[in-house]
Amino acid sequence: MTLAVAQVISLTGDRSSALYIARGRLVLIGALFALAFFLLAVRAVDVTVMQALPQTETAAPVPAVQGAPLVRRAAILDRNGVLLATSVKAASLYADPTLIADPKGAAHKIVQIFPDLRIQDIMRSLTAPGRFHWIKRHITPAQQAAVLRIGEPGLAFAEDYRRIYPQGALAGHLLGYTNVDGRGLAGFERAFDDTLAQGQDSVRLSLDTRLQHALRREIENTMRQFNAKAGIGTILDANTGEVLAGVSLPDYDPNHVARADKDAVFNRLSLGVYELGSIFKIFSTAALLDKMSDALSMEFDARQPIQHGRFSIKDYHPQNRALSVPEVFMYSSNIGSALMGQAVGTKRLRTFYERLGLLTPMTFESREIARPLVPSPWRDIDTLTAAYGHGLATTPLQTAAAVASIVNGGTLVRPTLLAGGSAYGQGERIVSAQTAAHMRSLLRLVVTDGTGAKADVPGYWIGGKTGTAEKAQGGAYNHDRLLSSFIGIFPAHAPRYVVLIAIDEPRGNAQSHFYATGGWVAAPAVGRVVAAMGAILGLPPQNSDALKDPAQSMRAYISANAATQGVHDE
Amino acid sequence: MTGPIYISNERSVIGRMSQINWSLIFLVVCLACLGLACLYSAAGGQIEPWAGRQGVRFIFCLIIMLVLAVIDLRWWYKLAWPAYFIGLGLLMFVELMGRIGMGAQRWIDLGFMQLQPSELVKIAVIMVLARYYHGTAAEDTRRLSTLILPAIVILIPTGLVLLQPNLGTAIMIVLGGAAMVFLAGAPLWLFILGIGAGAAAIPVVWMFMHDYQKRRVETFLNPENDPLGAGYNIIQSKIAIGSGGISGKGYLEGTQSRLNFLPEKHTDFIFTLWAEEWGFIGGLFLLFLFALIFIYGTWIGLRCRNNFGRFLALGLTFNFSLYVFINIAMVMGLIPVVGIPLPLISYGGSVMLAVMIAFGLIMSCSLYSDSRLSRF
Repeated sequence: MTLAVAQVISLTGDRSSALYIARGRLVLIGALFALAFFLLAVRAVDVTVMQALPQTETAAPVPAVQGAPLVRRAAILDRNGVLLATSVKAASLYADPTLIADPKGAAHKIVQIFPDLRIQDIMRSLTAPGRFHWIKRHITPAQQAAVLRIGEPGLAFAEDYRRIYPQGALAGHLLGYTNVDGRGLAGFERAFDDTLAQGQDSVRLSLDTRLQHALRREIENTMRQFNAKAGIGTILDANTGEVLAGVSLPDYDPNHVARADKDAVFNRLSLGVYELGSIFKIFSTAALLDKMSDALSMEFDARQPIQHGRFSIKDYHPQNRALSVPEVFMYSSNIGSALMGQAVGTKRLRTFYERLGLLTPMTFESREIARPLVPSPWRDIDTLTAAYGHGLATTPLQTAAAVASIVNGGTLVRPTLLAGGSAYGQGERIVSAQTAAHMRSLLRLVVTDGTGAKADVPGYWIGGKTGTAEKAQGGAYNHDRLLSSFIGIFPAHAPRYVVLIAIDEPRGNAQSHFYATGGWVAAPAVGRVVAAMGAILGLPPQNSDALKDPAQSMRAYISANAATQGVHDE
Repeated sequence: MTGPIYISNERSVIGRMSQINWSLIFLVVCLACLGLACLYSAAGGQIEPWAGRQGVRFIFCLIIMLVLAVIDLRWWYKLAWPAYFIGLGLLMFVELMGRIGMGAQRWIDLGFMQLQPSELVKIAVIMVLARYYHGTAAEDTRRLSTLILPAIVILIPTGLVLLQPNLGTAIMIVLGGAAMVFLAGAPLWLFILGIGAGAAAIPVVWMFMHDYQKRRVETFLNPENDPLGAGYNIIQSKIAIGSGGISGKGYLEGTQSRLNFLPEKHTDFIFTLWAEEWGFIGGLFLLFLFALIFIYGTWIGLRCRNNFGRFLALGLTFNFSLYVFINIAMVMGLIPVVGIPLPLISYGGSVMLAVMIAFGLIMSCSLYSDSRLSRF
């Protein structure tokens, strides 16, 4: 018993000694943490109060009142000089409460002029301490005259500029918008904020307002026709990469950004990434043709679906025989393309995609640029799926530029909004001139004999490729939610333009026999855009017999017993 | 025979439940609800995709916490080493799986959440150190030979986590462990030497750092260098916090954070969103709640009458507070960007689970603060 008690006591002694040490150390650690939290609080004061203050009320408006030089933001023009954005002088009403004799009376009169203001807010501005409070920014001359008639000396005006977008929503996503103080918040306005604010007269973009109208109209119509969720499109100059038109629907009017809903402000063209499906067969086929001189005589056995672990690669329209490269391309065989990707090899296909700029964020005059989703690590199965455009998501704009880089003769172009071409340098050779010629013939073949037939416009020699991608949803692909697209080039002999249209979640209808694939949805829309472009740009259709159809050179490789079935799908 | 000073441990589960630290639970639930409100706002005023899922996880973790809280502290004492080795095993398992072909995946998919073993190992390290120092006589803690085992215990998981590579979590393990060693009474000069050696090692560490990590440090030193690239996040974060001003823009009104100016607004940068919408006052309020938890946890540790519980509660509390400090300091540009989430607020399952396990253990320490634990 005594022993036990002694033990307890000695243990307690040990504990209190440990406790003593721990207390001393504890005070130190506790003090450190207290200091840390105090530091956070001080920093919070610094970030919120000290640094925020100059931006809010005192500093910014005062120079305007005192007549300091106010720089007019540069206008934005399209390639033909059509005004897309400009700044107009506008008066803004502010109050100096120290000079206001009768706040109540003044507030009532102000509300009559600006019914959208609330009388409590005005009263607060008219009675607050300080000598400068905005009441209403950017008022009309008539409103200004009405305010002057109140005759209240404490109501004064500051002159500054208001940003106007005469074309409204037309190119809203690409132009972007500014805040009330004229600083760019999105799009080109944001990317070139400093340049535009430097006071030069105007900046000329690559856009062509007329083509923008045509493209937007056709995408809008197609979305309505197929009850689609969204639509994306672009027209590129195939040789310079200049964006002649760029559309992401739904869109918004930059004059009234506050009214736009969240979905409409999202620029799908450069900030959305999508698995574009069979359009990627352009890249894998070009890789094969460029790496192997005998590629056109190679055959790929598309009889059996490819099993790879839990994946299986199937064809929509199985031909059940060995296919040549042109057949794989025109029937849009996934099996064939996967085997072609395999023949190119993982490393070479990946390098090829990389050089086309498909694996990194593109350079473009915008801050709204998405990073492509690239399989990491890139395993062999990814090579098979990437060859037909799955497992890899890119922005529509960079994909269109990559197609341009192949069909224009094989030199890299970067998409750009600046008239005259990208500032980031281009011209690196991607594929040989011969591969480029083969690809043009193959693309033409898709329109004459394959899945893209509905894009054809006689005399414009359209070539192209359909894409119908099932959208990934919660780890699986959903057969009912498609991204249906078509990328067209024309004229196929020596393409000057690349036209991409992608329609998000179209619903098939009676006219399309309830198909909602790229061939049925996007291809006809591209055809209509090309027809409109011909008229706008003054390009007459070329129908002379001397012009040989580029597709002809590929027909030699098509098996005689090829089924001449109507290919609706891919 | 054990004498009247020791309260009997044989209490019914209901009895134990009633003695649980409900005020600490209240604090934790408060913070978690603020977090859910933030996630709701981050999604633009929608339950999906973050707030709903996080809410379900929180309820699940809350139940786990309550269960852990009523388990006898002596069990935790016995389970310290097994927990440590299981943690190491999981860590090695994900490391091997990552090597074999699951890519950079360093988690285990549990279906409803992804479990990162490194989060659990952090707790296990603190448990083992608490157990070790429980059994070490106070005068021995100054001896260098007593430091060998803690060093091994800390450095093995640190090395494994560094291999992942996850610098942020590795630093947290080392700091958390060092705080325990410090608390136990290791000689002061050791820490001064350690800090000195750490400073001297900076050039060497720099050489071994990944490019992205170097960029983060350079960005920290001068974010305006690369406002579009590496400096973007921190500049946007400061703009957003600054734009909140003193009283904030109001709930669901934070434009900077919600208009996609700010990436990772729902995970590591959630404090930014909070501060933008609730302003300086809201930020201070959140800091205040975290400080209360720190004080509460420290108080529980001090009240504990066995060394294991004292070390465990203090170690876990310090670890939690370290997270809070590093995260908030990071989003306000006080320290370089390291991938450390804000506990209880940020979106993420593993950290939520780890934090709630830690609170469960702290509550167990509180419930069994008068228990007697044998030394060996």
